[in-house]
Amino acid sequence: MDLSKLPNDMKLQLCKSYFKVGCLFLPFVWAVNVCWFFRDAFIKPAYDEQKLIKKFVIMSAIGAFVWAVILVTWITVYQTNRVSWGATGDALSFIVPLGRA
Amino acid sequence: MSESGSDLDATEHTALMDGHIAEARPDRELAERIARKRKTKSDNQRSYGSVEQIEGGPSGASIAQQPRVPAAPVEPQIEELELKYGARHVIKLFVPVTLCMLVVVATISSINFYSVKDVYLAYTPFHEESPYASTKVWNALANSMILLCVIALMTVLLIVLYKKKCYKTIHGWLILSSLILLFLFSYLYIEEALIAYNIPMDYITLGFVLWNFGVMGMIVIHWKGPLRLQQAYLIFIAALMALVFIKYLPEWTTWAVLAVISIWDLVAVLTPKGPLRILVETAQERNEPIFPALIYSSTVMYCMAAASPAPGAAGERELRPLQPHGTVEGEGRDGTEAGGGEAGFDAAWRERRDEGAAPRRLRVDSAPPRYVTRLDPPHAPPHAPDLDEEKGVKLGLGDFIFYSVLVGKASSYGDWNTTLACFVAILIGLCLTLLLLAILKKALPALPISITFGLIFYFATRSVVKPFADALAAEQVFI
Repeated sequence: MDLSKLPNDMKLQLCKSYFKVGCLFLPFVWAVNVCWFFRDAFIKPAYDEQKLIKKFVIMSAIGAFVWAVILVTWITVYQTNRVSWGATGDALSFIVPLGRA
Repeated sequence: MSESGSDLDATEHTALMDGHIAEARPDRELAERIARKRKTKSDNQRSYGSVEQIEGGPSGASIAQQPRVPAAPVEPQIEELELKYGARHVIKLFVPVTLCMLVVVATISSINFYSVKDVYLAYTPFHEESPYASTKVWNALANSMILLCVIALMTVLLIVLYKKKCYKTIHGWLILSSLILLFLFSYLYIEEALIAYNIPMDYITLGFVLWNFGVMGMIVIHWKGPLRLQQAYLIFIAALMALVFIKYLPEWTTWAVLAVISIWDLVAVLTPKGPLRILVETAQERNEPIFPALIYSSTVMYCMAAASPAPGAAGERELRPLQPHGTVEGEGRDGTEAGGGEAGFDAAWRERRDEGAAPRRLRVDSAPPRYVTRLDPPHAPPHAPDLDEEKGVKLGLGDFIFYSVLVGKASSYGDWNTTLACFVAILIGLCLTLLLLAILKKALPALPISITFGLIFYFATRSVVKPFADALAAEQVFI
């Protein structure tokens, strides 16, 4: 896909559908949306659809950021508390690191 | 003029490679068109323009000649431009090919899992366990012939499906295979990588990450997405597939398969009745992109136009590469579960083969589309506005896979001299192929030259250069 060849209304649609797809627990899609449309939303000279694109990009950015915070928090909590959670902690573990000699 | 030109361009993108179709057209018209095009293009200062035109002329010598009559003085310039254009794209192809090999080599040398032989594909019933060299040789040959048959069968099946316009079936197949690759194989890869690096991980994070990674991949490959991301996913998929082959093919079978596949590539692409050639021609006749997903393009790949008939095709291509991986893994995992695993394998293998065949060719796209347009005037206009431009050189994902298999296999013995020799040999082969592409201007198989070089360099380095270097090191002689 080459964005520069896309008419503005198609851009808006694309940005919107990326945002919608991102709502299915897909912050990565949001992050891609932000990177992909950043230029169109903030740097390019103003055009009709820019306001809406900007809105979606900002919402995507916030969403991706929130998810990143959630993920980091969860990983920290899990890593520090795995042992104290006992059986639950073990059940959640995918890889338990081996000790080193 | 300009209008018609733009329309043509658009269609061009859609159409892929060589303009076999072009031959069908009245030469007169062609010549005129090309002449006009050249002028417009040069006016527009499109550097690639010249290449496109010439390539369009591709298979049909008649075409190439025709333009010359009207635009005789421009010829040398155009050829020079072509070469320059070609050189730029060679470099552009180097990067992804190198990246793919790097991923594979890095994985092989850091993750033990992929170089340990325990389970094999259902397609390779002979496991080379005998201590006798002659037995191993016929085992390897038999295995590779079986694989070749499966590949040929799958290719034919695909062509039949395509000819009968069973797009839904092909599409479903491709989507299924990419699903398997992006989720199952990625899962296995992540598991092995985490174990190798001893990184703790919980199921929640893993599921979340995999879900994000996989869905993004599906979107980018089968729908729309940034070009870079798409290229990255394609490279990763190719690397994953190569790893699967390295892991699940017996030792000597891998080398035999490489040799056999490159011969098959030659036959399938260059023979007049070769399956891949038929595939390309059919796609051109229908003015559709051929399996975009299976092909790495040095520039923009495909487009919105897909909305009509094209989308399916793109998906298919991608899927094919994926499927093979999927199958392989299934086999490896299930090992004993012959039934289900095997069935899966077959499909995967076929796809892979298909994929391999189609993707392996190098093509210059731009020219052929024009031809297509002319053939199907009604279709072209609607597509045109939506289509992204497809220019530049294309390399099939199958080529990526088998290049990486060769280099990865070489690196699995732990000798960096051999690995580097193979790497350089493959890049040289790629250069030569691209050079031939500039001269012959038609779709070419990318495997034969590179793989031949790679095999020669591998065995030469391993049996001659390495002992020599070792002896020198032992004697403390420095050259």
